[in-house]
Amino acid sequence: MRLLVTLALRALFRDWIFVFCNVAVLAGVIVPLLVLYGVRNGVYDALIGDLMANPASLQIDTAGNQSFTPADLAEVQGWEDVRFATLKTRSLFDYVNVRATGGRGRQEALIAPSGTGDPMIAPLPGLGPDEVAVSPALATQLGLSAGDGVEIFTQAENRPRQLVLNARVAGVLPPGRIDGRVVMADIALLDLIEAFYDGYALPDHGIDSGKPLAGRAGSFEGMRVYAAALDRLAPLQDRLETRFGVRTLARTAEVTSVLTLGRNLGLALALTVAVAAAGLAASLVFGFWGEVVRTRRTLANLGLLGLPQWQLSLFPVIQALVTAVIGLLVSFLLFRLTAALAERLFETGLTERGGLVSVSPAEALAIAAAVIAFVGCASLAAARAALATDPATVLREET
Amino acid sequence: MAEALVIRDLGVSLADGDRGFALRVPELSIAAGETVGLTGPSGTGKTLLLELLGLLRAPDPGGVYRLCPRDAPERDLTALWTRRGRIARLRGRLFGFVPQTGGLLPFLTLSENVALPQRICGRPDPGLVSDLIDRLGLGPVAGLRPERLSIGQRQRAAIARALAHRPRFVIADEPTAALDPENAAEAMTLLFEAAGRTGSAVIVSSHDLDLLGRFALTRYRLALDPDHAPGRPVSRLIAAEDGREAA
Repeated sequence: MRLLVTLALRALFRDWIFVFCNVAVLAGVIVPLLVLYGVRNGVYDALIGDLMANPASLQIDTAGNQSFTPADLAEVQGWEDVRFATLKTRSLFDYVNVRATGGRGRQEALIAPSGTGDPMIAPLPGLGPDEVAVSPALATQLGLSAGDGVEIFTQAENRPRQLVLNARVAGVLPPGRIDGRVVMADIALLDLIEAFYDGYALPDHGIDSGKPLAGRAGSFEGMRVYAAALDRLAPLQDRLETRFGVRTLARTAEVTSVLTLGRNLGLALALTVAVAAAGLAASLVFGFWGEVVRTRRTLANLGLLGLPQWQLSLFPVIQALVTAVIGLLVSFLLFRLTAALAERLFETGLTERGGLVSVSPAEALAIAAAVIAFVGCASLAAARAALATDPATVLREET
Repeated sequence: MAEALVIRDLGVSLADGDRGFALRVPELSIAAGETVGLTGPSGTGKTLLLELLGLLRAPDPGGVYRLCPRDAPERDLTALWTRRGRIARLRGRLFGFVPQTGGLLPFLTLSENVALPQRICGRPDPGLVSDLIDRLGLGPVAGLRPERLSIGQRQRAAIARALAHRPRFVIADEPTAALDPENAAEAMTLLFEAAGRTGSAVIVSSHDLDLLGRFALTRYRLALDPDHAPGRPVSRLIAAEDGREAA
């Protein structure tokens, strides 16, 4: 086999002009397709990346005053399209004052429900009952970092004392995740605040007067749900609205429009690839076949000297595969140059996010494998012609 | 001399629509190291006979084509055609071929061309390659590709290539057809001398009776049967005169 490969390569590179032609044909088709694919990836990935960078893209909030029970939450958490769900207390009580334990300054902050698996607090896995996550703005203003203690104050008009809840900062949210001063806490902590506003006694937290907590109904005003993926957002929103008869708020229109754009770009690319592949296949099939016809005396000679027919049939396949590898190298080189040029010309600012024209190493490998397989298949007609080579041609055509 | 190849009542038929051609070989035996000359007018099937001998053409069913090695059991070569996978390898080992104009591979140098049959057979012998190249006067051009060789040099290279793997038989089909008389005689002399050193039998076809006459050959000729059917000539191998006439 080594001898066969050596002979095939020697024969191939002797006629370098044919190699050049086939490589030019390959590059002429592959480079524009790579650029198209890269642009589709670059633009689409940037848009998707923007959406994915913000978990709020996956968020669905119920609107208005509703009534949800822990059983409703358990049902929603069981849906396969749901990544995370939590109940919400009444938005009227969303604002609290926060102070670093032992500190002097207080800051007003929005308090929002969270819990284990909440994408908003990732990479934190979850929050304990006396843990909170704070937004970067609040952390900066109060000098907070993970492990610090905080006091959460809330005051109701009808209560003589303010409620003070102590918590530990589990982590500071990544920059850009949430604007403004925000504290994220387990729903149990928010439920305490709501109970305080509703006039219940909370003796564990120094509020002795008020209605007994045991008589309180477990009902929540809303629910916040995160879809498992962007393409599950719209169906999940529909399902929530249908199941509970509520109105919800989500960035569905924006997400759907990006997904539709990606689908349409993919379809356009697939059509272009199909047409280009048909043309390339015809060109390569006849090119390789013609090459076998042109060099059949060489093949016949090798058969005369004792190479079996099946090895002769591999001769054009080896040459085709080597041509494909060279074509791919040239194509990727030209593609890189084109991508760099496009970045300079369009100044998209997408470079940091992978570039306007973007093909990942894994995609490049997959494309290379597909092209090699494609060229290998295109050489099969040539292989068949080589298989039919009659070694006696060497004697007969000279007589 | 012991017989190395034995053919008896072997034939091959070609058909193309309502036309056809048949070659019949009643008897042919070639001894190890023997030199055989094959003559006959154009169209009598000289090349077809060489193809038949060289395992390039399947014989008609029936008939005998046996390889009789000195140091191994006899082998029925007609049976090979029922399972063709091994024919090429056997052809490569048993035979060396000298086509009319060399048949060298254009992408290899002269020395690489000469060494190629050894590599295909898996029996590399660089010493023999150098020896053949030197004896055939090709040393100064051994590194050149065929396109830079004269026709005479190409023929001598083809002779070296045909003998490089020490085949039992060398089949030379009109090996001097493209050469002038002086070079033709020289090439033929070199062929027989080199084959004598490697112990190979030589079967050479030629129109040139004068040239063949200069060498001690066992001669056969091919002639068309006078009473063949229209459009379907039959050619028959005949031992010249006394059957094994020395020219």
